[in-house]
Amino acid sequence: MRERLLRKERIKDLCMAARRDWEIYLPLEHVGGDVQFVRLEADEEIESLKRLRLDYDSLVIPPKTVAFPQHECLFRFHRNEITETVAAPNRKLLFGVRACDLKGIRFLDDFFRRGFDDPYYRARSANMLVVVTVCTRPQPYCFCTSAGTGPSLPAPRAIGQRSNTGFDLQMTDIGEAYLVETGSAQGQHFVDHYGAFDGQVPPEALERAHRAKQEAAEAVHLRVGFDRAVQRFCEGKVPQRVYERMAERCIYCGGCVYVCPTCSCFGVFDEKNEDSGMRCRVWDACMFEGYTRQAGGHNPRFAKWARTARRYEHKLKYDYLETGSSSCVGCGRCLASCPVNIGMSQVIQEVASL
Amino acid sequence: MNNEYIPCPARVASVRKETPDTSTFAVVFQDEARAASFKHAPGQFVQVSVLGVGEVPISIASPPFHREYLELTIRAAGKVTRALHRLGPGDRMHIRGPYGTPFSFEQARGKNLYFIAGGIGLAPLRSLIHLALHRRGEVGAIRIFYGARTPDDICFNQDLKRWHDAPDTQVRVSVDKPDEHWQGHVGVVTSLWQTHELEPSDGVTYVCGPAVMLRYVVEKLIRTGFRTDDIYLVLERYMKCGIGKCGHCNIGARFVCTDGPVFSRSRLGGLPAREWLL
Repeated sequence: MRERLLRKERIKDLCMAARRDWEIYLPLEHVGGDVQFVRLEADEEIESLKRLRLDYDSLVIPPKTVAFPQHECLFRFHRNEITETVAAPNRKLLFGVRACDLKGIRFLDDFFRRGFDDPYYRARSANMLVVVTVCTRPQPYCFCTSAGTGPSLPAPRAIGQRSNTGFDLQMTDIGEAYLVETGSAQGQHFVDHYGAFDGQVPPEALERAHRAKQEAAEAVHLRVGFDRAVQRFCEGKVPQRVYERMAERCIYCGGCVYVCPTCSCFGVFDEKNEDSGMRCRVWDACMFEGYTRQAGGHNPRFAKWARTARRYEHKLKYDYLETGSSSCVGCGRCLASCPVNIGMSQVIQEVASL
Repeated sequence: MNNEYIPCPARVASVRKETPDTSTFAVVFQDEARAASFKHAPGQFVQVSVLGVGEVPISIASPPFHREYLELTIRAAGKVTRALHRLGPGDRMHIRGPYGTPFSFEQARGKNLYFIAGGIGLAPLRSLIHLALHRRGEVGAIRIFYGARTPDDICFNQDLKRWHDAPDTQVRVSVDKPDEHWQGHVGVVTSLWQTHELEPSDGVTYVCGPAVMLRYVVEKLIRTGFRTDDIYLVLERYMKCGIGKCGHCNIGARFVCTDGPVFSRSRLGGLPAREWLL
């Protein structure tokens, strides 16, 4: 594999050149200092790019929104005539994704396309190129090193078709430039196609990138017994009281679910005005009492603790048993957003120490 | 590109009132090619829409060999089912499917078949009962145990009478609360048979009804001596997509919409009991 350099002052040029071929999504600073992963709007690129923050702390909302938006129209209708509204499969460049969030994207890619291939997700994700930036600012709630998802990803031995967990490109901050590693044929094509990348990489740049990755990993202070907890969940050795204790505190707001990079559940509802309307899907949360309540009144998951059990067992047991990999990416968003201080890392630690 | 989320228009051909809150709708796909390509097996369901109101999963109550229309037995319980009940002959609904893992007729071949249903739970079993009677020579005795809350809540009255008169077919009906005219059995559905009356060694059982009924029926069937492989249940769950994506019907790692709604008791064994027994 041949690395490249991308000098920081050339990133704007790269975006301006790439925007002709791609819908670009990237981390922009918004009101109050929050960084959001949003689409680069046409006509405002120059202004927007001033707010580009590749060294952000974390994104409140994960980049799963690009292929699985919170709210999405499935079809429109007028009387009995239906018009399908699947998005055009445009080429999308996701620039500046964290390694943990890449795991989330690849997990959803697999989930939405296995069995019934979801046409809406397929259209939005089919032509996506993901550029990872190695995380240099792990937050106190991050535990990617325990989950095995970050803060940097190993480069593939050979560049072929991308594996379903890998990146297309990975960038490591080495000061005045990023060292760019190639993870797929699509990524290779991208760096060959745009002139912003420098092929002359001095050996000290490689050394600095290597050190930066090591320092990033060392900066992740929160360590949890991830594998041990997954094993305990899979063996069914988590006692009900663990869930009941959480249920005493949890307010069932659904916040942890909405900010989770691998949560995929949705509700469907119709809107109608006179003769016309649309059917939409919108993120839903298994923490809600109404999530499983049937019209006749029966609710198989009425008890709060049973809903808590569902959420943690889904992530740490069933997804592991089904796919060979837990769907917790270690991003810590659930803890960061929780009003009552419950997070996956705490649950993992508690179960691991049983 | 085929989009599973887009339903097809279907016309209501007729509506038959089963009980005060339940009716059977005979529906025909508007598009003839769709009608011809639609093939289901007993136990499967469809997603039924009233555009602008919503969509609900409904079991197919008619057998696969009835090609002229599809029968859907619907209880007015929520927003969408109440809207469906406002439809009459000639009106449109929208349908997609069929979905779900059906009963296996192969498994029933040569066996005695025991059907145990409560209330509208008879609807998905009715499709298989019709098929078994259609291919009468291929299965053994047929026994149908049916429970309803009151005599007014008995669905498929005509079918029950017809099945009773079919060769080597027995129907027993019970109600929880009789009225002054009721002369039949009174009690829960499990009181309709004595354990020695059934032959577990060469019988298969099919169960559908309210969650609390499933629990007691399964317990009694196991006491009667049935192997968990020979006890089939049809589960009902809130669902949105019907195709294993929306997550609402998840039990453990399984989806009721795609892995079910028909499950053998043995297949449910690995799933958390709190999620399917309660």
